[in-house]
Amino acid sequence: MTLIVTVMILSRAAYAQMPNDAIYMSKNTACLALSYNHTSWDKYWENKLKRENLNIGTQTTQTAMAMLAVGVTKDFDVIVGVPYIWTQASAGNLKWHKGFQDVSGWLKYRFFNKAGLSLNAVVGGSVPLTDYVPDFMPMSIGLRCKTATGRLVVRYKHTSGVYVTAYSSYIFRSKIKIDRDSYLMYEKLYNTNEVSVPNAYDLSARIGFTNKAIQTEVFAERGACVDGDYIRRNQMPFPTNNMKSTAVGWYGKFQPKNLGFNARVSYVVDGENVGQAMSYQAGVLYQFGYIKSGKK
Amino acid sequence: MNKNIKISSLRPVFTSLTGTLFIAAALFSCSKTVNDPSASVSAPSTIDANAGNWKPYILSSSSEIAVAEPKGATSTEYLAELKKLKESMTTVTASQREIVNYWGAGAAFRWNEIGRELSARYNSAPASNADGKYPVPDAANPLADPKFPFANPPYTARALAYLSVAQYDALVSAWNYKFKFNRKAPSKADESIKALLPVSDLPSYPSEDAVVAAASFEILKAMFPGEVPFLEAKLAEHKNSRLWAGMNVDSDIAAGEALGKAVGQKVMTRAKADGMGAANNQAKTAEMITNAVKIGITKPWLSQEFPARPPMLPTYGFVQPWNFNSATVVALRPKAPPLIDSPEFKENMDELLTIAKKQTRDQARIANFWADGVGSYTPPGHWHRKAADLCHSNNFSEVRTARTFALVGTAIQDAGVCCWDAKYYYYYPRPNQMDSKVKTSVGLPNFPSYTSGHSMFSGAAAEVLSYIFPKDKEKLDAMAAEASVSRIYGLIHYRFDCEQGLATGHKVGDYAVQRAKTDGAQ
Repeated sequence: MTLIVTVMILSRAAYAQMPNDAIYMSKNTACLALSYNHTSWDKYWENKLKRENLNIGTQTTQTAMAMLAVGVTKDFDVIVGVPYIWTQASAGNLKWHKGFQDVSGWLKYRFFNKAGLSLNAVVGGSVPLTDYVPDFMPMSIGLRCKTATGRLVVRYKHTSGVYVTAYSSYIFRSKIKIDRDSYLMYEKLYNTNEVSVPNAYDLSARIGFTNKAIQTEVFAERGACVDGDYIRRNQMPFPTNNMKSTAVGWYGKFQPKNLGFNARVSYVVDGENVGQAMSYQAGVLYQFGYIKSGKK
Repeated sequence: MNKNIKISSLRPVFTSLTGTLFIAAALFSCSKTVNDPSASVSAPSTIDANAGNWKPYILSSSSEIAVAEPKGATSTEYLAELKKLKESMTTVTASQREIVNYWGAGAAFRWNEIGRELSARYNSAPASNADGKYPVPDAANPLADPKFPFANPPYTARALAYLSVAQYDALVSAWNYKFKFNRKAPSKADESIKALLPVSDLPSYPSEDAVVAAASFEILKAMFPGEVPFLEAKLAEHKNSRLWAGMNVDSDIAAGEALGKAVGQKVMTRAKADGMGAANNQAKTAEMITNAVKIGITKPWLSQEFPARPPMLPTYGFVQPWNFNSATVVALRPKAPPLIDSPEFKENMDELLTIAKKQTRDQARIANFWADGVGSYTPPGHWHRKAADLCHSNNFSEVRTARTFALVGTAIQDAGVCCWDAKYYYYYPRPNQMDSKVKTSVGLPNFPSYTSGHSMFSGAAAEVLSYIFPKDKEKLDAMAAEASVSRIYGLIHYRFDCEQGLATGHKVGDYAVQRAKTDGAQ
């Protein structure tokens, strides 16, 4: 469930120039994006068993995010984002959590660009901003691990503006420390406060159209951990779980001049150890030049 | 800022970024193993030579169960055993050596740990079915859903109490025969045997490890009937480890196993008749609620789960205690909690509403550290772990370690019995039943509020451990106080639940301390 949150922050933050696309800022321009995301589910997969939980009802995670993308050159962007997250449940008595989650930074570099085909390398990392509780799932705002992501984005864009994008990432996730010093992982009892959070990967295929002012695309995304255990029968999730999800969605952007808007919808169609989340996102973009050209 | 960066000049940047990623990768991927503390090999500071005279719990005396005299040190049989041991030791592998060291941390120490792990694994509340009912775990079909048992705090308290009592009685018995027959350790009988673990002057027949292993096996297979294959493997591994280590010959092990098994069965006879089979008598709750209303609890407890779950073990308060009788359970029952909506009640509720609004990170940390909820070894397990660590770091002998577990374990179960008696006598509502703004930062237990189980368990455990480890008294009392207050910080208990529970827990623990003063182990 928190994967929904985590992955959202890791790779799905949908902005003007995202860490997961092949679109770049013009040189010496930057784009500030402010967005709001609403993710909720009322069913989840306990391991492979799809179920509801009347003591949670509908779980909702909302995110307000500020993101800055800076075009250093026409082939190199730097992107930084900070999310504020708050969770709630419509039923039961679980305490709602809120707070700043993890600051993330990305470097996106186009190392091949010929005849509409571009290859882009993206590296990113994230670090928790606050000492939030990571294992009160699904109400925690994140897993509180540090992450490092390596991603390859391949795009082919036809002169008509139609494009296809595919990417794949590997996400290294650090161990975390929790408040208690005993927990089960793979049904073995560990007597330590250190928890091994499994690494993760994602894959995506997207098809869309873009021109100077508009971008619209549909996508499918698959995210999963490389290993991990499962939600124990009738219990809460835990950071060691192997969370897997497959989502489909749509993304659109309208930015005729400096000011623009974007929106995104996605729905988890299949998963394990995650909620079947429906997400909506809307953002405001503001693009500006940070260096006057020709100035020395 | 003033010069455009050329693409070419970015190549090294990109290369170094990739390099950074590889470093990060190495950092993260190579360090996935968590630092689970591993206990060192035990080196008892004394062999407690007179422990054969210590007072057992269930056995009438340490000689109640007969152990045959072993073959003499110069007998052909014994010499053949030594020869066989020596030969088999030449083929001990590195992984067998690891197993030797694992069990070398202490027999009772390891079986207590196994008991805690099983408790954690079986600490799952049944899921509701399609009809909105909660199926009851079935001992005859332990691996079905829901698994048997639901190792909740009262269940775990009892399972670990029996485990500890069986280990202790079996060891007191073993010590009696050890010093009666005085068979030397194999490495002392034959100096060419180089034992892999420290060897003391403790006589080796019957093997204390086999005694503990067999007694523990008898208890745990009854408490966790779905785990028999797992337990059989542990039992075999433990026995073998003593042979691989050159610590015992076959006949030491065989005699120890027979003794441990007989004691374990004897202890289980008590378990079968202690009232636990009737501890989930839901038919009793109507009468309990009526009584609570009659004594002034105007809003009796209601399950806050959906669908409403029957309360946990409503008649556990009638289970037979260890260190006193059922009349004392009633005598120890704390005074009535504040009347609902009285000024005292409101004051306590206000405290919770304030925490609900502005719980500090430190309050959350304390609540989480002591949460010991589903999927954990519960508060009884938490305190058994503390006892195990203290025995180990104080270099206690095997038998003194078992005595500590038995004293603490019985006190903890007694606390559970007394607490459950109070809970169902007063049938007091949880804070969030009274105000839904009190959302909980730890799992909300499904039984009445007054008094706090954590507080009772912790008070009792700290009382006993402070007696055994007097120089740690301050720390132990502080731990118990923190465990108690953690339930306020976690928003599942009123302060009066915790204060009354902690004080009563200390009183309960004192009964075990009184026993400790006269059990012969001073």
